[in-house]
Amino acid sequence: MNRLKPLNRKAHQIEAAPNDEAVDKVVAMTAAVAGCATTFDPGWELDPFLGVAGLCQPMEADLYGCSDPCWWPAQVPDTLHNYPDWNTGKDDAARDWKALQSVFPK
Amino acid sequence: MKIKTTAAALAASFGVALFGALPTAALAARDYLVTAARPNLVFVVDAKERKVVKTHTIPNTSMGNSPITLVHSRDGKTAYVIHNRWETVSGIDLDSGKEVFRAELSGGDIRGKSPFPMDLSPDGKELAVYVNPTQLLPGEYKVMDPYIAIYRTDAGTDAEPVRKLKVPRRVSTLAWSAKGDTLYAFSWDMLKLDPQTGAVKGQHPWRSWKNGEQGEPDTLAIWPQWEQTNVFATPYYVAYANKPEGDPAALRAGIWTLDLEKDTVHFKEFENAGVVLFSSVVNPVRRDETYTVYTQLTKVNTKTGKMDRVDLDHTYYNVNVSSDGKELYIGGTQGDIAVYDSATLKRIGNIRTPGGGDQVLTSLRIFQR
Repeated sequence: MNRLKPLNRKAHQIEAAPNDEAVDKVVAMTAAVAGCATTFDPGWELDPFLGVAGLCQPMEADLYGCSDPCWWPAQVPDTLHNYPDWNTGKDDAARDWKALQSVFPK
Repeated sequence: MKIKTTAAALAASFGVALFGALPTAALAARDYLVTAARPNLVFVVDAKERKVVKTHTIPNTSMGNSPITLVHSRDGKTAYVIHNRWETVSGIDLDSGKEVFRAELSGGDIRGKSPFPMDLSPDGKELAVYVNPTQLLPGEYKVMDPYIAIYRTDAGTDAEPVRKLKVPRRVSTLAWSAKGDTLYAFSWDMLKLDPQTGAVKGQHPWRSWKNGEQGEPDTLAIWPQWEQTNVFATPYYVAYANKPEGDPAALRAGIWTLDLEKDTVHFKEFENAGVVLFSSVVNPVRRDETYTVYTQLTKVNTKTGKMDRVDLDHTYYNVNVSSDGKELYIGGTQGDIAVYDSATLKRIGNIRTPGGGDQVLTSLRIFQR
């Protein structure tokens, strides 16, 4: 652990925990298949073969397929947990994309 | 024609105009597609007519997150769908549109979500739903063990599980065997569970599959579309450690199938990986033929490995086949279902979703009535 430096609130909680029991309460989010925490595959900027030919075409075809399961939460707002109404009323991404807004952490 | 139409208005217009029950014995059986679309619609399509014949609304749901997995009863009377940000399962009567079943996966300080896996027992009496629960503590999310909730489908709109089965994490598919005596759970491996007790009776290797120099295979299997064949099929990728870096053959693509009647698996690699493949379906007539979609439509003979491929007009996630094996219905993602000839792979039709809402990640199912 000497070489690890805590960078976020959770990590600080682990370092500051007085005992193992307290450490146990500092838990990460659930690791579902698509769980807002553990999707590491490329896909929004690069396809699985590290090119761009395999990206969804057009991007609107995959936009809600990414926001709904929180697939790439850094690139696409997550409507599963944090921004449930980001695209409410904008049901056709190819038609409604101009009405979608940026989101900002609360 | 007004482009912006509310879900309620859609339900009224389609529901009233076409409210008669779907045909049953009086006419020759026809193929119907059933799927979902944003924001809260379950709809039925007369496949040959290319026409939406029923549009129903899912009540009390999230309007900013789409319905996902949809499972229908074999008689085509009821469709069960995961919705409400994956926290609710509803059963919708496909004739009346009435919600006849509803199970809330969350309650109290527990947030339960079902990330796709759901299937109905062959007799239609029990519904299996994979649930990932999380306890929402004041400053923490406490991860709890996942489970499979088994509901009786006659439990009404306040359904509670009649039993819960222990199951490993990372399940992406639940599939009931044709006889109903095994519930397959596709996790690290394809587990064979006793649907009464959850006991693991056996498994087909997946992560633990050893085959020469190959690494762990990789797949994404979240679209159930085996209702006509009882054959689960999904594309996969696998890397070979004995190939030099940069060799196109170091990463191969294939189709693997699990026969839900015979409990047999079959793997067929057919090309060096270079195209994204999402979901596959087996032709109910020419059962060596599978079709896989994403931005391309790929036909693969799983005996010979022979392959045909065409570009699609946009990316799609799911595909199903007419009961005569002649037509392909390609859906998911946006607001249309494309129709292709299964022999020539030529586009022969198109069906718009009611109101044009995207289908996103839902399932595209087929039944005959």
